[in-house]
Amino acid sequence: MKKICLIILSGLIGGLLLRAQTGTNATPQTERGPTRIYSDSADFYMAGHKAVYHGNVRVEDPQMRLVCAQLTANLPPSGGRPNRIVAETNVVIDFTDEKGQTNHTTSDKAVYAYEVQNGATNETVTLTGHAELENAQFSLSGEPIYVDLLNKSIHADNQKMVLHESLNGATTNMAPAGAGRGTNNPPAPKLF
Amino acid sequence: MKMKLNSAVFILSVFLAFGFHAVRAQQNSLSRASDFTSVEYFDPPHQQQIKSRLSGAEAQPLPGGLLAIKQLKLESFDENGNLEWIVGAPECVYDTMNATANSSGHLQLASGDGKFRVEGDGFLWQRNAQSLTISNRVQTVIENKAAKTKL
Repeated sequence: MKKICLIILSGLIGGLLLRAQTGTNATPQTERGPTRIYSDSADFYMAGHKAVYHGNVRVEDPQMRLVCAQLTANLPPSGGRPNRIVAETNVVIDFTDEKGQTNHTTSDKAVYAYEVQNGATNETVTLTGHAELENAQFSLSGEPIYVDLLNKSIHADNQKMVLHESLNGATTNMAPAGAGRGTNNPPAPKLF
Repeated sequence: MKMKLNSAVFILSVFLAFGFHAVRAQQNSLSRASDFTSVEYFDPPHQQQIKSRLSGAEAQPLPGGLLAIKQLKLESFDENGNLEWIVGAPECVYDTMNATANSSGHLQLASGDGKFRVEGDGFLWQRNAQSLTISNRVQTVIENKAAKTKL
């Protein structure tokens, strides 16, 4: 049970899903409101170090709101922060970045992954299945869309990006549908 | 007297099935224990430390190896005596044969520091599988630690 608690607790405190709070220049710390998870049902597997929320899953956080049909959190047996959190089926995430900008994503699946290899830390969210991300500046679809939480950037394969406002105020289609990584398309913008 | 003894043995066996080593209960009838507390200790070298404590207002044997428990409270501690988590349920039925506990009623679970809390209605605890299923209206609240903000 302890491990189950840690799974959930660490999962959300440590950066559940699209963690909006990724600033590195922030210093003061203040208390923020609680994170709440609602679901129809839930299974907690202590031996498997896993918690699964089923049915009308809703995560409400001061900086993020997530809706999906199923949410699974995994934690290494040794404890610590979760290495994988998966939101599945009709995933909708709305989060506010450190600039106060609202971002809206939709996808069939969202996978948060955290790993440390050879001293290097990777923390990403991958959106797959009709993945789209939209904010005030642009709309982006891709298959998949990668969100690098540490480098604060996004990348999309087979991307289609539409800037809502260009320098002259006109709407611009940055990349045609089907364009992907390795092409000469403009790089994906910084997300945060 | 024999019935009373059998009842005590039954309840004791149930608690042993839970994995507890000591039982303190008052029996106010031939088949019922009230205000009971059962304590499990760590293995050596921490054998003096309480690992978990189960208590309840009432435990009543039912046919089929079942035990009805009211006001269940289950606490777990670490080897330093710190409360790790606590579970409470107004009532549940423990199946001694299958080592499961279930209830259609409410369940509350909280970490020792109170920052993580889960509650819901209807649950099944499977001891062998080490799994807990909460069937309805699951709510989890995580009190966030200090969060960084911009200057």
